[in-house]
Amino acid sequence: MKGTHHNDSPSPAEPNYRTGSSVAREVELIARIAEGDRKAFEELYGLYHRRLARFLTRLTKRYDVAEEVINDTFYIVWRKAGAFRGDSQPSTWILGIAYRKARNAFRSSSRILALENPDAPLPPLTSDESLRTEELRDWLVHALVQLPVEQRLAVELCYELGYSCEEISTIMGCPVNTVKTRLFHARAKLQKLLPALGGATPADERDRKGSREKGKS
Amino acid sequence: MIATGDFACHEEAWLALPWLANGRLSQTERDKIEPHVRQCSACKEELAFQRLICDSLTAPDRVTYAPGPSFRKLMDRIDGTAPRPQKTGERSKVPASPGRAPNRGKVSPWRPPGLAWAAASFALVIGFVGVLSTVYRSSELLYTTHTDTARATPNILHIAFDRSLTIGEAEEALRSTGARIVEGPDSTGVIGIRPVASGAGDATSAGDRREMRVLSARLRADPRVRWVEPILGGDSPGERRAPLSRGQ
Repeated sequence: MKGTHHNDSPSPAEPNYRTGSSVAREVELIARIAEGDRKAFEELYGLYHRRLARFLTRLTKRYDVAEEVINDTFYIVWRKAGAFRGDSQPSTWILGIAYRKARNAFRSSSRILALENPDAPLPPLTSDESLRTEELRDWLVHALVQLPVEQRLAVELCYELGYSCEEISTIMGCPVNTVKTRLFHARAKLQKLLPALGGATPADERDRKGSREKGKS
Repeated sequence: MIATGDFACHEEAWLALPWLANGRLSQTERDKIEPHVRQCSACKEELAFQRLICDSLTAPDRVTYAPGPSFRKLMDRIDGTAPRPQKTGERSKVPASPGRAPNRGKVSPWRPPGLAWAAASFALVIGFVGVLSTVYRSSELLYTTHTDTARATPNILHIAFDRSLTIGEAEEALRSTGARIVEGPDSTGVIGIRPVASGAGDATSAGDRREMRVLSARLRADPRVRWVEPILGGDSPGERRAPLSRGQ
């Protein structure tokens, strides 16, 4: 996917979806979509496409699969806009649909998992600070693949998309404690992979392990 | 050793760290756990790790995804012009009229089944007639020459090269196959050629005709030649052949 650009269409700037004005705008768009307003639908699609494409492409490593999930999601948004009552924020509602679609895509399709090789060694990080963030992200993407789907999705919803614990629980349709547990296990696994990543010394690793044991206990 | 109260506080803080890192913890929760995090080295270290993950995953992407092409695909699907992707084991959930405004909980209006049967039968009959007509037409000789033989020079080959070919490359192709240009190219790029070995006049002898056939075969084998058509003088229907396009 690296270097893929589709710049033939205007792409509205991604909003700060946590502000009240953008939430109100999205609620208004959904109301107009319920009346069959295609312009409103296009605007809402533009607001979410980049966010979802990034999130889903990272999970699936395939833009075509991500695009399929996005379009499945917005097909539902188009059809069910009238059922949105504003009980949750628009982004929680839409991400909830996307989450279920993505989970189904993972479960029904072995093609994604077949692409992955969980046993592949993680590349060591460079000492060059300018490249470190890029490499760390690559490493995280690689490490995330090794997590179970539910944990992976929870990590992305929390760290990348910035949802609160309650919002993730709504999106994933599970209790708050389940979200915390999923993230706890995901974090533990990511931490286990950290020494391989950072070239940590055995002493560092021992210290880290001690800290984690303390957190678990 | 951690005291019981500290332990409960540590556990609570530990579980809440992802949201302290992503900035989504409520002020009440922050007030509760931040004092612990400040004094707990394990939590501090873990928080740093959590922030590292946040920063990495929210860093600007190297790839941008413009929504236009995907949106067009979606609208095609909604308008029913593109088939809905079929997934294994999935039942069709496509609404009866997918292009309409979103369903707001209304029940689809009832339509008499007879109307659907009538429409389907009509479509079937039209399709059948279409197939019959196609089969009938296919049985006829459809080829007609691209050239007006009444006005064309007899006993030459008309050829057309691939449009990407330069004049120099076309000349080289002709030279290498033993052909010379005797007319054209016309406005459509068709060139009239004869074998170099043939005489200056009309190639009417058996030898000349054989040369023409050999030249024609050579040119048809050349991937740069899109089309070859012999223009024959007199009545020689047996010699007339359909022009060959590339890939035939």
